[in-house]
Amino acid sequence: MGVMRAEPARVTDWAAKAVGAAWRAFDLQLTTYAGLLVAVGLVMAYTNSVEGGSLPLEAGTTFSRGLMWAAIAVVVFVLATTFDYHWLKTLAWPIYALQLGLLVLTLAIGDGVGGSARWVSVGPLTFQFSEIAKILMIIVLASYLASREGRLDSLASILGACLLVGPPLVLVMLQPDLGTSMVFGAILAGMLWMSGASLRWLAVLAVGVIAMIPIGWTYLLRDYQKARLTSFLDTNPDIQGAGYQLYQAQLAVGSGGFIGKGLTNGTQTQGDFLPVQATDFVFATLAEELGFLGGVVLFVLFVLLLWRVLVAGWRSRDAFGTLFAAGVASMIMFQLVVNVGMVLGVMPITGIPLPFVTHGGASLVSMAAGLGILQSINIRQTKAAW
Amino acid sequence: MSVFLDDRPKPIRSLSRFLTFALVVIVGVSGLTARLFYLQVIDGGRLATLSTRNRTVIDAIRSPRGVIYDRAGRALVTNVPTFVVKLRPSDMPLDQRPVVVDRLAALLRMTAPEINAIIDGNPGSTFDLVRIAGDVDRLTAQLISEAGADLPGVEVAVEARREYANGPLMSQILGYSAPVSGEQLKTLKDAGYLPDDLIGKVGIEAEYETLLRGIYGSESVERDASGRRTQVLQTIAEARPGDSLTLSIDTKEQQYAQKAMLWAMKEVGIKRGVVIVMNPQTGEVLALVSLPTYDNNVFARGISNADYAKLLKNPDKPLLNHAIQAHYPPGSTYKLVAGTGVLADKKITSSTKVQTRGYLTLGSTRFYDWNRRGFGACDIYCGFGHSSDTFFFQMAGKLGIDRLGYWAKQYGFGQPTGIDLPGEVAGIVPTNQWKQDVLGSRVFPGETYQAGIGQGYDVVTPIQLINAYAALANGGTVYQPQIVRDVVGPDGTVVRPFEPKVLHKMAVPASALKIMRNAARSTVTLRHTYNLVDLPIKVAGKSGTAEFGIRDRKGRLPFHSWFVGFVPKDVRHGSFNGTDSQLIVLAFAYDSRTKGNVATEIVKYYLQQHFGIKKDYRLPNLLKRGNFYQSN
Repeated sequence: MGVMRAEPARVTDWAAKAVGAAWRAFDLQLTTYAGLLVAVGLVMAYTNSVEGGSLPLEAGTTFSRGLMWAAIAVVVFVLATTFDYHWLKTLAWPIYALQLGLLVLTLAIGDGVGGSARWVSVGPLTFQFSEIAKILMIIVLASYLASREGRLDSLASILGACLLVGPPLVLVMLQPDLGTSMVFGAILAGMLWMSGASLRWLAVLAVGVIAMIPIGWTYLLRDYQKARLTSFLDTNPDIQGAGYQLYQAQLAVGSGGFIGKGLTNGTQTQGDFLPVQATDFVFATLAEELGFLGGVVLFVLFVLLLWRVLVAGWRSRDAFGTLFAAGVASMIMFQLVVNVGMVLGVMPITGIPLPFVTHGGASLVSMAAGLGILQSINIRQTKAAW
Repeated sequence: MSVFLDDRPKPIRSLSRFLTFALVVIVGVSGLTARLFYLQVIDGGRLATLSTRNRTVIDAIRSPRGVIYDRAGRALVTNVPTFVVKLRPSDMPLDQRPVVVDRLAALLRMTAPEINAIIDGNPGSTFDLVRIAGDVDRLTAQLISEAGADLPGVEVAVEARREYANGPLMSQILGYSAPVSGEQLKTLKDAGYLPDDLIGKVGIEAEYETLLRGIYGSESVERDASGRRTQVLQTIAEARPGDSLTLSIDTKEQQYAQKAMLWAMKEVGIKRGVVIVMNPQTGEVLALVSLPTYDNNVFARGISNADYAKLLKNPDKPLLNHAIQAHYPPGSTYKLVAGTGVLADKKITSSTKVQTRGYLTLGSTRFYDWNRRGFGACDIYCGFGHSSDTFFFQMAGKLGIDRLGYWAKQYGFGQPTGIDLPGEVAGIVPTNQWKQDVLGSRVFPGETYQAGIGQGYDVVTPIQLINAYAALANGGTVYQPQIVRDVVGPDGTVVRPFEPKVLHKMAVPASALKIMRNAARSTVTLRHTYNLVDLPIKVAGKSGTAEFGIRDRKGRLPFHSWFVGFVPKDVRHGSFNGTDSQLIVLAFAYDSRTKGNVATEIVKYYLQQHFGIKKDYRLPNLLKRGNFYQSN
């Protein structure tokens, strides 16, 4: 492949002459929008810490840990940007092995609530490897599909992609983490779509998945998962049981009104009525304290970010770049809709974080890695002009 | 474009697929925006109200319960602060319940099933507090209130508990207040009772519940998700403290009476007994002892199921107030009724003499006197004084059962006296109508004889009997016995001063009662009551020996002993022609079976203490047990 041939010469070229050019190709907008979203996340971490009754900068608060993870994310982002993304194609199989290894490790030594295994503790930190697995999955899928350029509309490409996604998806389901496995599915769907896969076979695949739903419902899902999935459909919810979080979240959102109650003034969250306010339900806090305006600003930031991600994919001269962008966009889009939709009571309750905003190290770091790789793609498209 | 780029495959990007993806993004985010707009702007007001309701609740402000004093102003019950552990089930997430219950059980030294039973037996809704444990020690209370989020829904409240100064001495009068039961709550909810409320269960605490309780106020309170109060937003209504009560009971008299009864119980082995002391001029009850009894403090602290079961199983029924809640045959004390009746109905005069033999024959049945030799020709003073059975068989015969019943009702028998204690029973006054209604036949002449001497169908409560003799002593006014003298408002002013309550004036000539009072005096002077006449005070009265139960092998029945005695106002020199008696005492010894009348000894011992008589006139040799009363 041409990439491999060009490599030895380009490293020195780039290092010596092209810093200015690379800077021009660097998508400042993409980084800005992501940075603003992280800032929103930190503000929410701050307000939750204050309402939790602690000084925001005290060690161990949501806010101080958020700051630490943001710093780590910046480092990861810079490293990923400078790293030549073409190597990822070469490293695809080892990366796949790493991904499976992390998920197996999580199952083996992970901790979680009620017998599940989701987090791996490393010293004082807990880390959710399934978040990293998402980005690794996108890299692996993009490499695979790019390698099948020209044959992408064949059934074999679709089946191959499905076979690749299968093992990690099952491993995540075993944790059990229904949300992340659904994200895997969304990434697969989005990337196949953007790869130009045959519409006919995609339709067949979609029908197949839908047909599987009743079987999965009966044999795979646990009762509490079913209760959480359906509680949003219940018109007269059990507000003391499965519907409690949802009910309290809706009260929080609804009481926010147009302009919100102001930061740190959320009574739902202050009174501790809303559980997991810093993580999966962070949008409820945001909507309560910043109101409809705050929510719309957040949505606009996400739309702009998605736009820049898609632009990066569009500008990429190779299939890997395009597909990688498609994967990242699918992941962000899916998590945004499902997470916010859950808080707003129109989506089932699944443990899917809101990208950048939800407090959680692994999610942020893996997002930073994804955006870093996108920037790497951006700045390595103009080399041919030199 | 360079050769280098042309060398690569055509980019896979497809505008239509990019645009479709962008469209999905736009549609998805628009959907979220629309939903957000609906929740926050269109439905926002309603949800904001719900959110406010989420954290503000209307809480009751409990009113301090009124206290109770004896007639000398001694506090009989006070409110002491204690820690109470409560739980609001709705604030305890269901999945955390087992953990919370286990933690509570360990802290309170209870078992998880016990706590679960309390929570599930909660009479209110899941939003109401359930009382898990009362009288919790300070350390445990601190541990629980500091456990915070580990015990969602659990709170520690400081609540007033009743502390009864004298415990068992006053239990039968005061009763106790304890947590309201689910059954009671159903009817009391509308009256403002809370599921974790306290309520007077028996005695004065129950009878005067409304006054003692006062009126609860209310306030709106902000609370967090664990149900802990964060601040009071507004006081809606102040609480009005309960009224206090001053009893007519005198602790000292109560102690004398109890001491007298306990002495006899110890000396003879009697299991149950009653002593009542009253003022015949007003109906005030100065002492009311019913033994065996219980400790009302145990109930106020929260009695264990085992202890409660023990009290219930006791055959002598310590939870029952035998003075008002049980009735017994009155025996010879009931001769007052027939005696008053024949005089009032002019069947005899004070000088009419009647022949009294060892027995009276009716058909083929002999009705024996307790004295098998009889008393010869006897007037009312002799007949009543010696308690001649054959005399009163004849008197009852002269009156007939219905007239006898009429005079019994004149004395207040057969209906509750209306004493201000709950659970009073009515007793039975047999008449033809009564027997027709209850047993389906008329009264036989022999039964009339028995009714004349307080046996057979006659049953009375001790309070009825003393109240009847009080009417004799005061010249024919039947008062309602009263335990509570004054009702005192929260500011210390008397809201309802004492007033004697007249049930009725007896339709009887004053002369008939005067004869009966002197006849009662002759009981003493004829030494029917042994040395009672030797006391330095003048006592009139009547003893009674009332058979009950099942005959032994020799055909003898066990029996109770009664004595009612009263003294003139001038106890040393007064006479029973007057109606100025200020003191009347009754003693009842259940299943006494003593050689002499133990009830007389009890009354004597009480009078010695009351009047400070130094010399002890008690006759322990009369108290030999097992000598069955010879009858028939």
